[in-house]
Amino acid sequence: METTTSGFSFDLCARNARLEGKAPAAMKTGTTICGVVYKDGVVLGADTRATGGSEVADKNCAKIHYLAPNIYCCGAGTAADTEKTTELIASQLDLLRLSTSTQSRVVAAVTLLKRMLFKYQGHISAALVLGGVDCKGPHLYQIYPHGSTSKLPYVTMGSGSLAAMSVFETGYRDGMAEAEAVALVKDAIFGGIFNDLGSGSNCDITIIRQGGVPEVRRGYETPNETAPLRAAYARPASLRPPVGATPVLSTLVDVFDAPQPLAL
Amino acid sequence: MSILEHNGAAIIAMAGKNCVAIGADTRFGLRMQTVATDFEKVFKMSNNVFVGLAGLATDVQTLRNLLKFRLSLYALREERDMKPEAFAALLSHLLYEKRFGPYFIEPLVAGLKDGDQPFLCGMDLIGAPVYTNDFVVSGTCTPNMNGMCESLWRPDMTPDDLFEAVSQCLLASVDRDAMSGWGAVVHVITPDGVTSKRLKGRMD
Amino acid sequence: MDTGDSSYSYSLTTFSRSGKLLQIEYALMAVSEGKTSLGIKARNGVVLCTDKKLGSKLVDRDNVRKLESITPSCGVVYAGVGPDYRVLVKKARKQAQTYKLTYGEHKPIRGLVQDAAAVMQEYTQSGGVRPFGVSLLVAGFDDDGPQLYQVDPSGAYYGWKASAIGKNFKNARSFLEKRYSDEVELDDAIHTALLTMREGFEGEMNEHNIELGVVGEDRTFKILTPAEIKDYLDEAN
Repeated sequence: METTTSGFSFDLCARNARLEGKAPAAMKTGTTICGVVYKDGVVLGADTRATGGSEVADKNCAKIHYLAPNIYCCGAGTAADTEKTTELIASQLDLLRLSTSTQSRVVAAVTLLKRMLFKYQGHISAALVLGGVDCKGPHLYQIYPHGSTSKLPYVTMGSGSLAAMSVFETGYRDGMAEAEAVALVKDAIFGGIFNDLGSGSNCDITIIRQGGVPEVRRGYETPNETAPLRAAYARPASLRPPVGATPVLSTLVDVFDAPQPLAL
Repeated sequence: MSILEHNGAAIIAMAGKNCVAIGADTRFGLRMQTVATDFEKVFKMSNNVFVGLAGLATDVQTLRNLLKFRLSLYALREERDMKPEAFAALLSHLLYEKRFGPYFIEPLVAGLKDGDQPFLCGMDLIGAPVYTNDFVVSGTCTPNMNGMCESLWRPDMTPDDLFEAVSQCLLASVDRDAMSGWGAVVHVITPDGVTSKRLKGRMD
Repeated sequence: MDTGDSSYSYSLTTFSRSGKLLQIEYALMAVSEGKTSLGIKARNGVVLCTDKKLGSKLVDRDNVRKLESITPSCGVVYAGVGPDYRVLVKKARKQAQTYKLTYGEHKPIRGLVQDAAAVMQEYTQSGGVRPFGVSLLVAGFDDDGPQLYQVDPSGAYYGWKASAIGKNFKNARSFLEKRYSDEVELDDAIHTALLTMREGFEGEMNEHNIELGVVGEDRTFKILTPAEIKDYLDEAN
């Protein structure tokens, strides 16, 4: 059995074509993601909902991915694709940094990503907002699943992109201060969280400053916390099944470091 | 109907205080016909890692074998047990490797991390991980299970309370799903050992 | 390994009638002709040190680097043929990245050493290639604590408390044997490394003609700047 091959394996494709009536759905991120360039750098924002069909699969997933110490990337689309594509490119950038002993350039990250996505002709469905700061200043890009890119001062992606863009089109100004930029990004993400059904839960924010350490604010604002709601009322006794409530047919206890499992 | 729903499954993993539980039904069906009622879907990978595999039964067994193989190789090479975090990463990697011809499996990983902290992780069929602190579900009745877990889960449960919560969530959920049920098994993992119980439930 | 026409090429490394693999012995001679490198494992970290004397004063020393990191917590240095070393470093880095993408954690030091050694062994037995003309010293800090390994052209590897490779390695090693203590702290180990290096050093040792790398309990391998090396040299004087 092979364990050392790299790249995709197409072993099961022929079998699956015979099995499949309709391809099962992979998890989507639904998603509102956005970014904006401000005076001293870039602010990236994302919601934290992942969906499987119409069901919320993850209430607090991280959609702002690390690419390099000075570059981060928001991902929308198929959850596995955004996760694994950014991981792969982060790895390639790491190798590049080790062999060149220089900081990663944002264009380098964009180029690696767009080449990979174009190669797969849109079958890897990752829609990305990539932001970073390098020796040439702050940069913000959007990257479509087919590999096209554009470099813009403010961008939004995902199912909530229209809601977020409406906020940007109203509030964006050139050369904003950091606090203004963060507030604008938060408002844009909230636009998605509260108006787009594919987006929800919390607002994550990452700030990448010129000549500074990036600030990763996971759960920057959490307007949909359930814990306080749950704590606000006494749990009815019916929601606390007492010990022994479930009828059991047999029990097996495996005590670690004991010679044999015990059947009770 | 999706191929993921061909054989039927219901699996729940839930966190307690220094313990985790993972439970699954035991039905093996072919669409609406029940073929066996003793089908294993949850597997012990090591003392502190359990995996639940919901989906196409042939892939359940193939993936179980593959994971056992990779885990044994890891143990021989590195002379240590795999941490649940690394196990989840490996599983995610194996699934995404087959991105364009996937295993029809939506797995759950339940285990105890260093310091006996609970570790829970769910994935879709191409390995997108979902990390949670409370509970995670997979199978043919995820809306039922999510609903039950949202109601019965509470923080810092003892192993005994955790067992009751998982069992009740599982039994209630499969009663409203034709594709799963016909018996269930629940494993409660603590730092000292694992307690596995077969539940009495409806057989229809 | 694919050398293109492998079915027609034979390994150059064959046993002599006395049971020796002469190519490997020649490779070891290439190593012992190389500039000295040494490593010391302390209680709370590991230090690597290497001689970076250059052939001519016209060489731009800013572009010469002998110490390399493989993962954030693992560094490596060599004695012998420089270009061969870079091939091994490139392969080791790639293997480390593959491991991280698979298991989501950094590759353990022993795994890095085992795989580097496996590559070196392969080149003693494959057709159309020659063995690597380098020995490696690998330093790192992981769940198993601080570690120092030496890997030789044959593919043999050993864990060491302190070791030296390259020119004068025998003298350096016996110097280290006299000086070594199991309880040594990282800062003291750095001083011992500098003293050992100075023993066989031709000409005056300064911050520009040696390199120093350390990994401590923060599990970050750090290659020291000339200014930092100068501080240690001044302390030692």
